[in-house]
Amino acid sequence: MLGELKELWKFREMLVTMVQREMKIRYKNSVVGFFWSLLNPLITVAVMTVVFKYFQSNSTPNLGAYVLAAYLPYMFFQLCLLDSAQSVLNGLDLAKKIYFPREILPLTMIVSNLIHFVLALAVFFVYLLGVYILNPQVPPFQVTTLWLPVLLVVNVALVTGLGLIISALNTFYEDVKYIVSVLLYLLFFLSPIMYFSESVYHSPAAASHPWVYTLYHLNPVATLSTSYRKLLLASQKVTMRGESWDPLPMDWTMFGITAAMSFAILLFGYHLFNRLKWKFVERP
Amino acid sequence: MNATAAIEIRELRKEFMLSHSGINSLKTMLTWWRKRKVERLEVLKGISLDVQSGECVAVVGRNGAGKSTLLSLLARVYKPTSGTVTVHGRVAPLLELGAGFHPDLTGVENIFFNGVILGLTRSEIQERLETIIDFSELRSHIDTPVRTYSSGMLARLGFSIAVNIGADILLVDEVLAVGDLEFERKCYTKIDELRAAGATILFVSHHLESIRRVADRCVWLKDGLITQTGDPESVLAAYVAAAGGEVPELP
Repeated sequence: MLGELKELWKFREMLVTMVQREMKIRYKNSVVGFFWSLLNPLITVAVMTVVFKYFQSNSTPNLGAYVLAAYLPYMFFQLCLLDSAQSVLNGLDLAKKIYFPREILPLTMIVSNLIHFVLALAVFFVYLLGVYILNPQVPPFQVTTLWLPVLLVVNVALVTGLGLIISALNTFYEDVKYIVSVLLYLLFFLSPIMYFSESVYHSPAAASHPWVYTLYHLNPVATLSTSYRKLLLASQKVTMRGESWDPLPMDWTMFGITAAMSFAILLFGYHLFNRLKWKFVERP
Repeated sequence: MNATAAIEIRELRKEFMLSHSGINSLKTMLTWWRKRKVERLEVLKGISLDVQSGECVAVVGRNGAGKSTLLSLLARVYKPTSGTVTVHGRVAPLLELGAGFHPDLTGVENIFFNGVILGLTRSEIQERLETIIDFSELRSHIDTPVRTYSSGMLARLGFSIAVNIGADILLVDEVLAVGDLEFERKCYTKIDELRAAGATILFVSHHLESIRRVADRCVWLKDGLITQTGDPESVLAAYVAAAGGEVPELP
């Protein structure tokens, strides 16, 4: 594996060129292109906020920020997996004609989505600042915001591992990407994005069986979503339909387990990809 | 065996898996697993060949004899089933048309893209950029995406990059056939130049005239094995005779 990494390092300039190309396509109209691609998450979150606030009577203050804090990372997760699923098939023509480490194809998708995610997070902090100016109760930055790089490293390890596995499998079985998109859809509901992990904790199921809450957070996306919220935003009471719950503290044990899982997935994914990557051009 | 060998091929074998049911989805794999039939196709059946540094070797043979597979193995696009391929020096592969181009990038961007994959730094490519564009004679099209290029234009650009990046070994797979007469002549002049500078060239061609013109040695591949290797004149004579034709006299 070290040899493969060394080889990849030798081809870093190719990765940079591929990412530049990808960004160019995505932000074709420069600045306008970037905001255009932000429109989807912003509209989704606006709709979700309206639904929760008025139809579900969720009166948690600054709700939009809490939804965004979990929805932006979920978008990053989803785009990385779907883009890398197709990346090897799209690059097959190139791969048939010239030698290069094949992992550059999915990694291009991971890196360009990471750049996009970081830009979206920057807009997120501008949003928080705007909310703070209008309503100076919730400060836009927490001390725990400093943990953001750690969150990103774990998140990137997870999506890279899964992206490598999915891209390798989808090259041989072209319906893998459809299965992945169904699983992503289910994962969206199984993770605290449209609701709070406090709701799960206080739900009747988790109240009678405490292991339900632990099992729920063994899903790395659930733990990451909760962690983004806890670390980027001030902890506050969750108020829903007259009921009010104290915020749960950041669960570092679960986060540690998720980090370990993510790196295990990364190692396994890279190993699997390396075993299969020279068969890509020979697929029947 | 030899200290100056640029390419060493030892007992090289390459098998491909052919599937008739076309198992390319999980669904077909699950539903048709009983009918699944996979056939092995042995394309190269044990080849050993040394190419000396500075030598120009032509490979001839019928379609399906394994010529392109051999070149792809040398370019490291495939991994050998067994045996070894050792290449000493930087390789510039020209496999089929549009050698490693990205269709959405412009000509200039592709020169950088291709150069970077072949192991050059950006500044090294910048230094050679003008030479590459001039040689390809595509200056008026160099800023349009290469998907708009004709096959001749792709071949020009590919060849122009390959011969101008200072590679030690050039692998050419029948790309010269699509260029016009004038460009072809220019290519052979360039190949002579490269040979004089000590580059090693391995090329596949069906064009007997050009083999006679540039090759030092000729290898005849038949059904995945080397049938004959030697000076171009005698190998070509045997090859043409086997194909049931006459060797055209040299003018």
